[in-house]
Amino acid sequence: MVRQTEERVTKGTQPPASAEDRWITSVGIDIGTSTTKMIVSRLKLARTSGALSLPRYGITERLLAYQSPIYETPLRTGDEVDAERIWRILEREYEAAGIRPAELKSGAVIITGETANKKNARQILHLLAERSGDFVVATAGPDLEGLLAGKGAGADDRSRAAREAVANIDVGGGTANAAVFRRGKPAGTVTFHVGGRLIRLDAFGTVEGVSPSLRPWLNACGYRLEPGRKASFDLLQELCLAMSRDMLDCLAGKAAASRESVAALLLGAPLEPMPVLEEWTISGGIGQLMDSPKPSNVEEAAVHGDIGPLLAHSLKEQAGSYPAIRLGRPAQTVRATVIGAGMQTTEISGATVFLDAGLLPIRNLPVMKVDLAPAMLQRSESLEDLLERTMREGASLFGSEASPPFALAISGLQQAGYAEIQRLAEAIAGSYKRSFPGNRVFAAICGEDVAKALGQALERRFGPSPKVICIDQIRVDLGDYVDLGEPISGTMVPVVVKTLAFHRGEEVTDG
Amino acid sequence: MNPVIPIDQLVDRVMAELERKLAPSNAATAQTAKTANPMPDIAAALPEVAESITDGERIAHVPDPKWEEGLGELLASTPARIGVWRCGTRPLTKEVLRFRCDHAAAIDSVYGTVDSSLLDEFGLFTVETRFGNTENYLKRPDMGRIVTDEGVERIRSRCAAKPQVQVVVSDGLSANAVEANLRDVYPSLMDSLQAYGLSAGTPFFVRGGRVAVMDPIGDILQPEVLVLLIGERPGLVTSQSMSAYMCYRPRRGTVESDRTVISNIHRGGTPPVEAGAYIGTVLKKMLEQRTSGVNLEL
Repeated sequence: MVRQTEERVTKGTQPPASAEDRWITSVGIDIGTSTTKMIVSRLKLARTSGALSLPRYGITERLLAYQSPIYETPLRTGDEVDAERIWRILEREYEAAGIRPAELKSGAVIITGETANKKNARQILHLLAERSGDFVVATAGPDLEGLLAGKGAGADDRSRAAREAVANIDVGGGTANAAVFRRGKPAGTVTFHVGGRLIRLDAFGTVEGVSPSLRPWLNACGYRLEPGRKASFDLLQELCLAMSRDMLDCLAGKAAASRESVAALLLGAPLEPMPVLEEWTISGGIGQLMDSPKPSNVEEAAVHGDIGPLLAHSLKEQAGSYPAIRLGRPAQTVRATVIGAGMQTTEISGATVFLDAGLLPIRNLPVMKVDLAPAMLQRSESLEDLLERTMREGASLFGSEASPPFALAISGLQQAGYAEIQRLAEAIAGSYKRSFPGNRVFAAICGEDVAKALGQALERRFGPSPKVICIDQIRVDLGDYVDLGEPISGTMVPVVVKTLAFHRGEEVTDG
Repeated sequence: MNPVIPIDQLVDRVMAELERKLAPSNAATAQTAKTANPMPDIAAALPEVAESITDGERIAHVPDPKWEEGLGELLASTPARIGVWRCGTRPLTKEVLRFRCDHAAAIDSVYGTVDSSLLDEFGLFTVETRFGNTENYLKRPDMGRIVTDEGVERIRSRCAAKPQVQVVVSDGLSANAVEANLRDVYPSLMDSLQAYGLSAGTPFFVRGGRVAVMDPIGDILQPEVLVLLIGERPGLVTSQSMSAYMCYRPRRGTVESDRTVISNIHRGGTPPVEAGAYIGTVLKKMLEQRTSGVNLEL
């Protein structure tokens, strides 16, 4: 399977390298609560605009070139991941995949589930960033994790063919991350305390441990589970079914999030309003277990030392019982997140951009945003006011030491003509120099195709310093972080947007 | 056999007949009230009608669509006339009017002229081709490729010879395209030349030009590269579309495959300001590679 895809890449379909057609190698690494895995993918960059239009490139094909076995996440102690052993696993896998870190042009490391809360999560990311080549490093909260898993499982593609929304629920050891897509676009994410390892069992059904995160739900439902006590098969089955029902009822819009047992299961906020679902898929380790035979006694259920197999079959049974919602098969199960991380995180900016290649790559650039109304572009004063305020706010949020301190995201330039662009450049240049005197680099990300014109207008005003990076056709929001990769063929900038849009201001994580 | 009656006369007769039959007894008073002040009514109603036809947001007229959102996506994906619905076997009046309005705009662009104040704004002097008049221009493309003797003289006397970049603007098939886009494309193009350290010669305007008018101008001025901003054949989607044709050392006998083009420049297509900024990049590459058209690697 793996070999086949690799051959497809190298033998038949790989065209000669030309400016019109390029392949880049991308890696995805997922360090999860219970397992660690990596994949290597090949992304084809091709021109997507006509020969008579401005050039525009996009990722037109994604091939899975290599997938590692599933490793148990090496732990040094209960709350510390063994970074050195992870690195040794990766070294071996790089060799098996036949790639060198220097060849990697994009990719993402994602630390998922409970591992993200471990003491040294940040240290691991830095270690991997240094050693794994010039690829991009991303950390994730449950929202990004759910989105990547949803994309890896193919829910975004399926939603394009559906009238209503499609959800993928990635159920792992500690959490279930649901991502909802509508007409190909993410509509939101919800996370639940539902997972296979939340209740650990020995081979005879004796409860070995119950995760504290499940306690509120157990109490709300009136279940008493004490470590050291035997739990009957019927009780475990009933419990898994009830857990599945509460989660799925919430996603199906059948239960208000205020139902006590549902509220106890939710991690963070529910989706309001919940989009009408037409189909759902279940990925993750539990998604994979749905295909194994249904356990019929407690010994079979406890084969992995937890409630995983029981939960999988309860979910399968429950998910098939909603008349309006189809239970679909995900494109990937246990590898959905890592495949999403390796294949779906990179976007390509517009090809008419303004930059100095020597300034890239830049990692973990925070985003400030200005939304411009057409009327505002007509008036220099209000434009200058807005930018002055934005720059000052940026300086207080992100400091002024880094060059650039943030990327200025600009939207609302659909109708901007030459005069408007000049006015905007004037306002940006003035306010930037006042708020960040002596800063050496200014970065802007435009929603519309204006980067080259705006970049030229800015350079004329800035002179030799600060230098200007201006890219476009990438949607970002306040609170996002972006990684800008080295330009490919001088004009295509790979961009990873680490969106925290669904966090609703709860917490901000960075890499 | 009845004698052949022109359709408009027939309609008039039917309408008159109908009016007579349907008019209430006090028709006379109503008639005077109406005719006493007919102009303001029409004047007030017309702009509104015109606006609703030309500027109205594109909406599907399908009553009670099975999937409204899907229909909206289809509409957003194309400027083509879809979801227009019908009345019996015929299109709706507003769609017919919209169609005729777009068609009229296309015709106006072909027959229109570029306002001289716009040309003055950018210091463009005007030369003509041998097109004569618009009718002839349409029938004889070859005459739109030859500059008049007077024009040649004017180019020789006013333009810097052998410039690195020669910029020429022409109305081509749509004066409207020049009016709508020049203020965005031209200064942006000049900025991009400056950004790349390229020097431009003396720009001018060609009235009644065709794309290949680049070649005789190339012979006269011998620029390294020439860029022609010219109005495109208008369509029913837009009458404001402009092209930028670029050529390395254009000469009489230059073949079409030696020209590089960025087309569809208008607010709803290739963004004008960005197109202008990108032209500099293309010209820079032409100068580096000493070629243009299909041989140019972008």
